[in-house]
Amino acid sequence: MKKQLPDNCSKEHAAYLQAIARKNRFVSCARYLILIGFILLWEAFAHTGLIDPFIFSSPSRIWNTLLRLNANGELFRHIGITLFETVVGFVLGTLFGTLIAVLLWWSRTLSRILDPYLVVLNALPKIALGPILIVWFGAGVKSIIVMALLISLVVTIMSVLVGFNEITGEKQLLMRTLGASKLQIFTMVVLPASVPTIMSALKISVGMSWVGVIVGEYLVSKAGLGYLIVYGGQVFKLDLVMASIVVLCVLAAIMYYGVAYLEKKLVLWRTHA
Amino acid sequence: MADTLVEAKNICLTYHEPTAETRAIENLSFQVNKGEFVAIVGPSGCGKTSVLSLLAGLMEPSEGEIRIYDNKRPGYMLQRDHLLDWRTIEGNIMLGLEVKHMATPENRAYALALLATYGLSEFRDHYPRQLSGGMRQKVALIRTLATSPELLLLDEPFSALDYQTRLRVADEIHAILRSEGKTALLVTHDISEAISMSDRVLVFSSRPATLKQEHIIRLSGENTPLGRRNAPEFKDYFDMIWKELDSYEETAAR
Repeated sequence: MKKQLPDNCSKEHAAYLQAIARKNRFVSCARYLILIGFILLWEAFAHTGLIDPFIFSSPSRIWNTLLRLNANGELFRHIGITLFETVVGFVLGTLFGTLIAVLLWWSRTLSRILDPYLVVLNALPKIALGPILIVWFGAGVKSIIVMALLISLVVTIMSVLVGFNEITGEKQLLMRTLGASKLQIFTMVVLPASVPTIMSALKISVGMSWVGVIVGEYLVSKAGLGYLIVYGGQVFKLDLVMASIVVLCVLAAIMYYGVAYLEKKLVLWRTHA
Repeated sequence: MADTLVEAKNICLTYHEPTAETRAIENLSFQVNKGEFVAIVGPSGCGKTSVLSLLAGLMEPSEGEIRIYDNKRPGYMLQRDHLLDWRTIEGNIMLGLEVKHMATPENRAYALALLATYGLSEFRDHYPRQLSGGMRQKVALIRTLATSPELLLLDEPFSALDYQTRLRVADEIHAILRSEGKTALLVTHDISEAISMSDRVLVFSSRPATLKQEHIIRLSGENTPLGRRNAPEFKDYFDMIWKELDSYEETAAR
């Protein structure tokens, strides 16, 4: 990226700016080089027989698998199903999580009563609930969504509540001196001030939803990327496993950056000025 | 004499905590007249701020009674400006009006006029972080004035500012309060600030706080906080109050 130097800048400042630009270029180049180098080495090792492509697969085999999956329309069906489950699980988890956090902020007593339950729920590996979910919600999409929801829910509750409680007592005192009700304190100060915390909670829970969905698909599904990975493993098609993981990487990254972009938009005032 | 605006009669206040109970205020009586600028000084932690909280209606006294002969809620200025980062300056000064559902066009116009009068109009659409500490504290004052309270409670409003800014902002805020004809009660630990700004200084004892001395401040010369600091009598008041406070600190330490 070529940037015009400001007109009225000293030689020293220009050198300083150029040094920064050089450093940035180096970092981006290094990033791409690692990826390209990794792919090339992998391919080379698989070709020369240094590693067994049947077990380790290879970039070209992964690419061909993707093309084949795409040709019969399977690829986007699986992506669609997994994506749908993740988004629904994530949105529901965030919604309920934030709502419960609001209730717990509202009533200090309720928060104290429920605290040990939350701690236990947070510590419990939600995957252990898998069999119960299958019995309750059936071996299908519903169970998977509930799994994703459960995994992201507790994290959301806890981190959003911490965010709410961090808003200083003094800002609330200010609102009370103005005669504000508790609802006004919440909507006018606590909620807007917690947007940054809520957004970083979302970044965590996006990842959690993916964990929930893939685990759920391991357990019950007949379609989706998690299903492809398990199926590929069982029939020893490592190409299929690797291809699904690559797709998963891309999707997870897109969703994470989506949330990060939303964060940047919503937290505009932080970078203002 | 002038009309009484605030009357505190024999108030006592006790704080309860799991480990102890603390007597914060003991049998305190004082009054403030309309249009008067009264300062409260006292040893640190003596319960000065508690008095303001009582007047603001944030707490109830354990005993005694407080009367404010004005049906409006007093305006309260805190140590820090606490401007909301995500609201513009205009949004911030409307906060009190919005809370009280009083954001009518007239009231909004009044708040904006205050902003204009005190030279902050051009920052109307700016965000708080773009303003200096002194300007932010002035915006906080305008936010307080926007709901047109009769009585202003100032809780060490300059203590978060650096010394230079503090003197200037004290001057400006004093002028604003005078020209708006407000009654003010200033709590501070800074004796010079108390003498330079107020008509009357109330000296509190260490905890439990009670009224020990009362000084009516009469200074010759220019009637601005900066001008008053140069008055020949200033030093005498300062020495007198300093000695009084010192003696309470000593008895408390014993």
